[in-house]
Amino acid sequence: MNRNLRLVAAASAIAMAAGISTPAFAEGTTAGTSINNTVTVDYQVGGVNQTQEDASDTFVVDRKINLTVAASDTATTTVAPGQDGTDLTVNPPVTTFIVTNTSNEVLDFELSAANQGNGAAPNGGNDNFDVSNFQVFVDSNGNGVFDPAVDTATFIDELAEDGNIAVFIIGDIPDTQVTDDVSAVILTATAREGGSAGGSVGATITESTGADTAGVDTVFADAAGDTDGNRDAAFSATDDYTVQAAAITVEKTSAVLWDPLNGLTNPKAIPGAVVEYCIAVSNAAGGASATNVSISDNLNNTGNVTFYSAAATPPANGTSDAAPAANGVVSANACDGTGTNADASGLGESGGIVSGNLGTVSAGATETLLFRVTVN
Amino acid sequence: MRDLVISLIRNIFLIIMLCVGAMTPGFAKSAIELDSEVFVERIVQRGGREAIRLEKPQRVLPGDELIFVLRYRNVSATPARDFVVTNPLPPAVAFRETLDGREQVSIDGGENWGKLSSLQVPIGEGRFRAARPDDVTHIRWTILQDITMGSEGKLTFRGVVK
Repeated sequence: MNRNLRLVAAASAIAMAAGISTPAFAEGTTAGTSINNTVTVDYQVGGVNQTQEDASDTFVVDRKINLTVAASDTATTTVAPGQDGTDLTVNPPVTTFIVTNTSNEVLDFELSAANQGNGAAPNGGNDNFDVSNFQVFVDSNGNGVFDPAVDTATFIDELAEDGNIAVFIIGDIPDTQVTDDVSAVILTATAREGGSAGGSVGATITESTGADTAGVDTVFADAAGDTDGNRDAAFSATDDYTVQAAAITVEKTSAVLWDPLNGLTNPKAIPGAVVEYCIAVSNAAGGASATNVSISDNLNNTGNVTFYSAAATPPANGTSDAAPAANGVVSANACDGTGTNADASGLGESGGIVSGNLGTVSAGATETLLFRVTVN
Repeated sequence: MRDLVISLIRNIFLIIMLCVGAMTPGFAKSAIELDSEVFVERIVQRGGREAIRLEKPQRVLPGDELIFVLRYRNVSATPARDFVVTNPLPPAVAFRETLDGREQVSIDGGENWGKLSSLQVPIGEGRFRAARPDDVTHIRWTILQDITMGSEGKLTFRGVVK
């Protein structure tokens, strides 16, 4: 079979009709498969059936190493400043990728994560900071969601031909970042030898060089990803984090409600007067919700005022206006006491320290903590 | 894009012609000598233009185009008649076309035969769709003319590695 064949021209009119049905071969025939073509001929000589003749040839399908990596979606991962993967069970910042084995063999894949340099990020905005302490995990239970107790593998083991699996990158967000900061991160998957489940990642795959052989050759067939080259058995893709910080401002104001001489009419902050303090927490529009907003105010540091509790003796009264009632510690949506803060908790005073938890303060919202004191 | 270029090349030319050398000697007792070969068809860049090259099947990957060639020759002193060549397709090869278009094909493992365009694949509920090259399981040529002493011929079909 060493004859040289010279091709004069190619294809027939049938090709025009047949050309429409080119199928999409995904992973294709498994590497190492023998293709044996046997032809049989029946014929007669002198009217007599002759023994059937056959002829055959066999060749082996080589190994095509190919893979793709893609971000799992086209949305950014929203993170808060300081959100990190120190404790993977507590809301780690996760970006998700899909690695697909388009080779014609079962393979392992080594995984690595990197920061993109400054520049356009895939889901809008420009990369302007780096995350740190990369961790990469495989979606071992195949549910597409990072489960810290289950998804602990750091390389892809024995991914089937045409199989795909999710991979998670977790990186720490510096606590100095502000809203709309963007960090793009790159996942690179590199094909490694498969063949044995468990243990460590398979050996490096080497492309067959030199002349073709009749045995199984290895050919790299992957395209260039975001940061890797053409035909290098690796593929890379980029996803990004976008910071949504809560921009909290706190303002403390006071209003004199009553004094022993003027009553409710133009009261002054004289000894014995009742003063209402308001601590207003505002979260700027466009940011993230602030959760678990806790407030503590030590009246001992203020000096010369005493928390006006229901149990306290009402101030001495020199006017016709009765002193306002004690109001405890309350939470509202404004300093005039209007609105209701349904998720406030732990409101109270002890030993001159007023404290309370406003719960969640949404972007664009204001919540207040109100309490009354008497001037010493 | 490359596929488009290739199909354009195909549409320009009409015939594959394989110029072959002498037949290898076969079995002395048979009236007919057979020789089956397969080649991988590759598009190569040559002097800035695309050319088609046939290679021995040493580097074969899924999606590669294959050309199967069966050569026959009557080495007896009498004509051979009712010459029927049957080629079951290897499972890993999808049929594309024959060179001469005079074949019959089977899509059911050799039970029924006909031109591809005349065959139909049942799709359930008593309905059918037209058979496609991918459905072909067997190819068969029936050569009506006698194959006279010393004459030879060649049958060629094209397939794709699945």
